Amino acid sequence: MATPERVAIAAAGVVTPVGPDLEAFWSALVTGASGISQIERFPVADLRVQRGGEVKKLGRIKDWCGVPDCRATRLLIAAADDLCAQAGFRPLPLDPARVAVVVGTALGGVEEGERALAGDRPRRRFRDALYDGPGDRLARWLGARGPVITVSTACASGASALATGADLLRHDEADAVVAGGYDALCRFVLRGFNALRSLTRDEVRPFDRRRSGLLLGEAGALALLVRERDLRGPRLGTVLGYGSASDGFHIAAPEPEGRGLERAIRAALADARVSARDVDLVSAHGTATLLNDRIETAALKRALGPRAYEVPVNSIKGGLGHTMGAAAALEAFMCLLSAQRGLIPPTLHLEEPDPECDLDYVPGRARAVRPRIMLSTSMGFGGCNGALVLEAA
Amino acid sequence: MRAPAVRGLGVLSGRGPGSGPAPIWALPRPERPGDRFRRATRECLLALAAVDAMLEDGKAPREAIAGERTALLYVTAAAYGASNREFIERRGGVMHFAYTAPAVVPAEVAIEFGVTGAYGILLGGAPSTLRAIEQAARLLDEGRCDRALLLAVEIFEECGDLYARHRRYTRWPLVETAACLWLERGAGELRFQSSRVARAPGPARGGGERFAAGPLVDLREWLDRGGTGPLELSGRWRDEHARLGWSTVRSHARGSAA
Repeated sequence: MATPERVAIAAAGVVTPVGPDLEAFWSALVTGASGISQIERFPVADLRVQRGGEVKKLGRIKDWCGVPDCRATRLLIAAADDLCAQAGFRPLPLDPARVAVVVGTALGGVEEGERALAGDRPRRRFRDALYDGPGDRLARWLGARGPVITVSTACASGASALATGADLLRHDEADAVVAGGYDALCRFVLRGFNALRSLTRDEVRPFDRRRSGLLLGEAGALALLVRERDLRGPRLGTVLGYGSASDGFHIAAPEPEGRGLERAIRAALADARVSARDVDLVSAHGTATLLNDRIETAALKRALGPRAYEVPVNSIKGGLGHTMGAAAALEAFMCLLSAQRGLIPPTLHLEEPDPECDLDYVPGRARAVRPRIMLSTSMGFGGCNGALVLEAA
Repeated sequence: MRAPAVRGLGVLSGRGPGSGPAPIWALPRPERPGDRFRRATRECLLALAAVDAMLEDGKAPREAIAGERTALLYVTAAAYGASNREFIERRGGVMHFAYTAPAVVPAEVAIEFGVTGAYGILLGGAPSTLRAIEQAARLLDEGRCDRALLLAVEIFEECGDLYARHRRYTRWPLVETAACLWLERGAGELRFQSSRVARAPGPARGGGERFAAGPLVDLREWLDRGGTGPLELSGRWRDEHARLGWSTVRSHARGSAA
């Protein structure tokens, strides 16, 4: 079988509740800082849970001239601005027709629709509520004229986007791809998760015996993907493989044994041509809901076998909240930064282990380990399961 | 890339003008027995009906598409608009929030028919559908699945007043469509091309605007005409124009549009 084209993550840019750029994001992860706060940007007084991972400062951009007043779009562009600063590539040093954009989202620009229907926006702005609107705006901001793709595999969207971007390079549809995920906090999603009773009034405690649910967050997270053979400068790491699988079980609840996630992990390892023994770090979906963490633990044990007990497994949602479409991309960047810096961020607020969650979840403080092969798992509404395998630079 | 073969194609299409402010040809909400569908949205039920039509077209039992060797791809530009709007305007009281996610439409298909393989969801118009056919062909070619289902659903009626305010941005009438294409390994060559063009609605064509579902309707019509030899499907969305060249469409599909 031919060796697949290797795709590098040359650089990454983010805007998150714990910091407006990649360095601030990393610093917060390793020091255990939390970005959870009272939500201030829209009214929440009528909601049971009023906290989340709200981005208080949208990066360095001072002048939003030409960029619509759409939170989702601005999160994406703030992340892209950080990416450009990291990679130094705006204006694009490539033929714009060979630069693609692939973004993943669970919510798109739905807040625009919400506000249009509430009369806060002219109803003509409803077209911005189409979920592929922010990705299109990002492509225009970047000056990219290649394929523009929006994927929406719920909370696995960021992983799907990185994998789709890598495929565009492997199939020579582009020479560079800006890929990642985003989602904005808005009343729509906060009301929805409140209605589902998935949100906690406590801290977000992944894998903890006392865990009682998640909190939502907002973020933008973008990577610059290029073929390794084309790369002239440094890189963060390599996208080795991806796998996906449907639960085929329930529209909102995960399959109780985690069989779908297990299949996605096995498919990703096979795609990456590595074995479970090669995995040095698992970035778990780790939402801190009762079901998710138990199911994910079971799926990891079956997919990784004895290696599941040896490898560090962390979740970064304790400090960020669940950033939905951005989550998997942020977690992928965390993996690559861990490899680069030789430090694995802790699982925040994990203090009392759950007997049913008996893996090494990196409680307490960052751990000095330099992983080489990393697995990142994601699960979403509709039984969407995704797994990414990444390799250190 | 090797072209896939068409094993079946089910298409449900709105057939007449509705009564709203915009010219929309609507599809009725399908009936489906079972308590599980009590809260299901119209787009979900239409997706299930499209799969039923596809199975009928391919003269296959539902078990033929079950399992982890079946991949499921879903494309839509706007089908989620109806459930999003209902959730927004009823202030979350009635609609189950999960149904607002685009991912739940293929999820209902996966649950009902036991489809547990690889999946993908692209949001956009006709170019996304053509790209999804290419992705399905790759999944088949690389042995990641034995069959791939491509589901496309577009509904408009619930947001008819909003579309009416955007008459100049789209072609009319808007035709609600649910379609499902069953692909297997085939022969010949498949070629996908995408380019950016000036932003404007494409040229008017017969049958109205179906967003992501358009290419599957074109394929259905081509099959119904007894199409043989090469086929080119094309479509536009925002400023993308895409074309899919199919050197040989090997088809096992029978019957006509549902």
